[in-house]
Amino acid sequence: MTSEEIVVSLDEVRKEFGDTTALGGVSMRIRAGEAVAVTGPSGCGKSTLLNMIAGLDRPTAGTVTVRGEDLGRLTETGLALFRRRHLGMIFQFFNLLDDLPALDNVALAGQLTGASARQSRIRALELLGELGVAARRDSYPAALSGGERQRVAVARALMNRPALLLADEPTGALDSRSGEDVMQMLLDLNHSGQTLLIVTHDPRLAARCGRIVEMTDGRVSRERTPERAA
Amino acid sequence: MSAVGTAARSIVRRRKVQTFVIALVVLFSTLTVVIALALLVAASAPFDRAFAAQLGAHAIVTFDRAQVSGTQLEQTSGRPGTVAAGPFDAVVLEVPEDFLWRTAGPLVVVGRPGPGGPVDRLDLVSGRWATAPGEIVVNYPAGGGRPADLLGVPITATGAPTLTVVGFATSMSGSADAWVAPAQMAALHPTARQMLFRFSAASTDAQVAAGVDRATAGLPPGAITATQSYLTGKRAFAAMADSYLPIITVFGLLGLVVSVVIVGNVVSGAVVSGYRRIGVLKALGFTSRQVIAVYLAMIATPALAGCLLGAVSGALVAPAILKIAFAGIHTGTAVIAVPAWVPVLCALGMLVLVVLAALVPAVRAGRLSAARAITAGSAPRAGRGLRAQRYLAGLPIPRPVSLGLGQLVTRPGRAALTAVVIVLGVATATLSTGLTSTMVAFAGLDHGDGVPVVDVVVGSPGNQHAVPERTDKQIEELLYAVPGADTVTARALRQVRLLGHPQPIYVNFYRGDTSADAEQIVAGRMAAAPDEVVTGPSFLTQHGVAVGDRIILELGGRRVPVTITGELIGSSPEAVDATWALLDRLAPGTPAVDYTVTLTPGADAAAYARSAAAAEPGIMVAARGPGNAATTTIVTFAAVFTVLLGAVAALGVFNTVLLTTRERRRELGMLKAIGMTPRQVVTLTVTSVTALGALSGLLAIPAGIAAHRLIVDHVGVVAFPESMKAVWHAPQLAALAVAGVLIAVLGALAPARAAARLTVGEVLHTE
Repeated sequence: MTSEEIVVSLDEVRKEFGDTTALGGVSMRIRAGEAVAVTGPSGCGKSTLLNMIAGLDRPTAGTVTVRGEDLGRLTETGLALFRRRHLGMIFQFFNLLDDLPALDNVALAGQLTGASARQSRIRALELLGELGVAARRDSYPAALSGGERQRVAVARALMNRPALLLADEPTGALDSRSGEDVMQMLLDLNHSGQTLLIVTHDPRLAARCGRIVEMTDGRVSRERTPERAA
Repeated sequence: MSAVGTAARSIVRRRKVQTFVIALVVLFSTLTVVIALALLVAASAPFDRAFAAQLGAHAIVTFDRAQVSGTQLEQTSGRPGTVAAGPFDAVVLEVPEDFLWRTAGPLVVVGRPGPGGPVDRLDLVSGRWATAPGEIVVNYPAGGGRPADLLGVPITATGAPTLTVVGFATSMSGSADAWVAPAQMAALHPTARQMLFRFSAASTDAQVAAGVDRATAGLPPGAITATQSYLTGKRAFAAMADSYLPIITVFGLLGLVVSVVIVGNVVSGAVVSGYRRIGVLKALGFTSRQVIAVYLAMIATPALAGCLLGAVSGALVAPAILKIAFAGIHTGTAVIAVPAWVPVLCALGMLVLVVLAALVPAVRAGRLSAARAITAGSAPRAGRGLRAQRYLAGLPIPRPVSLGLGQLVTRPGRAALTAVVIVLGVATATLSTGLTSTMVAFAGLDHGDGVPVVDVVVGSPGNQHAVPERTDKQIEELLYAVPGADTVTARALRQVRLLGHPQPIYVNFYRGDTSADAEQIVAGRMAAAPDEVVTGPSFLTQHGVAVGDRIILELGGRRVPVTITGELIGSSPEAVDATWALLDRLAPGTPAVDYTVTLTPGADAAAYARSAAAAEPGIMVAARGPGNAATTTIVTFAAVFTVLLGAVAALGVFNTVLLTTRERRRELGMLKAIGMTPRQVVTLTVTSVTALGALSGLLAIPAGIAAHRLIVDHVGVVAFPESMKAVWHAPQLAALAVAGVLIAVLGALAPARAAARLTVGEVLHTE
């Protein structure tokens, strides 16, 4: 399902925190429809790389281009608007709002774009249905299982039909069965055309993606396809 | 350093902003309380202290010399519960010309062998005591100065030998205007005998009256011609300060309540936001007591700094405010200062208050299990106000706004405390606005609503200015003749005896246009006939008379019964106003001492003053400026307290928002991650307290209006008419309603902007 369109382009991206170099000059491309896994040991710069692509943090040097937009040229507000329109994010710890039921957690992302509460809830309900948690629409996060929470989080990430779905250790806080379910769901989304970037330190999950980017000490140490790895 | 100390220090270091806010709130609160308490103490304590130091007379009783002998009076000193001094011969001399700083009129002179004695020990402030014939010591009413330059001035009274001033003394009892040696009295033809009494119980008028009855029992009926209670003098001393008391009390109470609420809010918030750390400490092996100690130490450190700085600042600022409050008051030997114990007590009291406020949440924290503390530290409990959240999510308003509104129901306790703080801030602003409007209207009475007014004072030796060559009438004609004059009002001032009272009073006699004075009548009517006077509420209260009562005035042997026909908005507690016709009966030929010239609208007051002064060198002419002392004082008080309480209220909001944004870092990070712009984060955060500000403003305005009414109804020296109390208008109230929002926005803006700048990656990654 991949195309020639470049969704993400990183050129010599560096990120330093004081004396510590988190990214030491990373360059990479992600094409539309790809499922890319970024792997590596703790502290290798995986999450920092994800933050750069999501516009959550700014590089010390180099350029990050997503869907043709140089993120370095955008203001904070511009970055927020860009994320809202083009990116969906999934976190290890779900990051749902405790005070809102599942449906409103998902609808929230739509409402931020200016859509009405009614329209947003209709779309949110569709997504919850597609992800198999529609029955839990009125449940609050505290009443959901880990897997259900992550499905709601995925639904929220998909709310505005993002060009790129970013997932930071999406199965890291789940038991093995729930983790497998969530991973399968993400791959299904990819098979239907959703571009996917997953940060994980689990080699089995990474092996199910179309491309694996291995990082060591802030640099891309190796890029490979699962077939070669196997 | 102990484990507790290390843990507390690490928290203080880590939570620098929180620590700073606690210190600042406590500083402002302590400062407010020091000012309020200093004023409250100054209103009575200095008089009591100076009176006690002089063994002041609780009652000064004047007897008719013809009806009671000195031997009979000497027997009164042995009565139970009574200490007496006297009898002293006394006489009321008539001084026909102004002398020293005093106006012409009666002078109560008493023969005493010296300034000491068991009662009314006089303070000799300058010169020496009168010991030889021809010498006199004069009562010096205002403390602080040393009138040495006035020693040697001669005083010539009608029918008495010339007396030379050899000293100045101060009597807190007000037992006489002057004293001479007993041997001198024969030449002055005494008519009365004076006894000075101290009683074992003299706190109330009734106790003083009972003491006098006990001391004078058995004396011939009708022998007493006048009795003066020290309570009258005390009321006169505190009259001006008392008039500020309702204002000070209300502001002081507001300050205390705000302090308690904010300190409680700050401390609870600090403890709640530190729950996770509590869990960690407990997991490390800290006992409940140690956890409590850590949190008390964490709060006490900035609180102690705030208390100390607030007390020092208060001690520095309060004297300036006392100076304004006691300006123009005869303080005698009383020292108007901030006692050292006031800032010390306030600092200690505030520290205790803070520690008590911290104790409850700290104990609660100490009792938490480690696991529960760690869980509780992550975010407010889910499930609070869920229906409200759900409802808000469906409203057709921007989502950041509805999310902000939802935060109010997540922590209702914190929202309520914040609302109380804003209510108090806006109520203070409302009260301040009302007082300012009332006082400006009051001051406007003297200034003819923008019509230029010029004050003219006649030169005399008393004011060290050249004496005019023109007569009183000629000066009045001149003032009319200078271009720009519309009306001229002449005033003569005389001291006269008020029968039944040992101390003389002042009478202002007016001639010419008195239409402006008519506006100052709040009850009854202006004096029109020669036997009518009007006066202010403090004179009525202190002399136990009312509108419609008859009093007898005496000057130079002439007695005139007069009726009090009206009550003025305000005037001196020792003065009444009358017509020139009454002056013609009491002291015909007395010239005016000053004139008030009202100019035609648009006339140049300064030019008028120059022309009038050039035409007659014997007069001092000045264009009247805006405002007066009372207006300035009250408006200053109101402004100072409003700024302080407004700042404290804004700090309270700041603290609340800071706590909330810290607790919700993860949520805010997530919202930013899914596309919430920095402006939307600010909107969300500010909305949460703006709604509170608007609601609180609506609640606070009626409270402020009620407080304003309470104050203006209880200012002792001024009886405001309804027109000056009803000062509220729609635009003004609308502006005050905005004040709540303004306090909320000002307090919330900084932490809201900090929240908007959160680095999402860090926030979410640390989770």
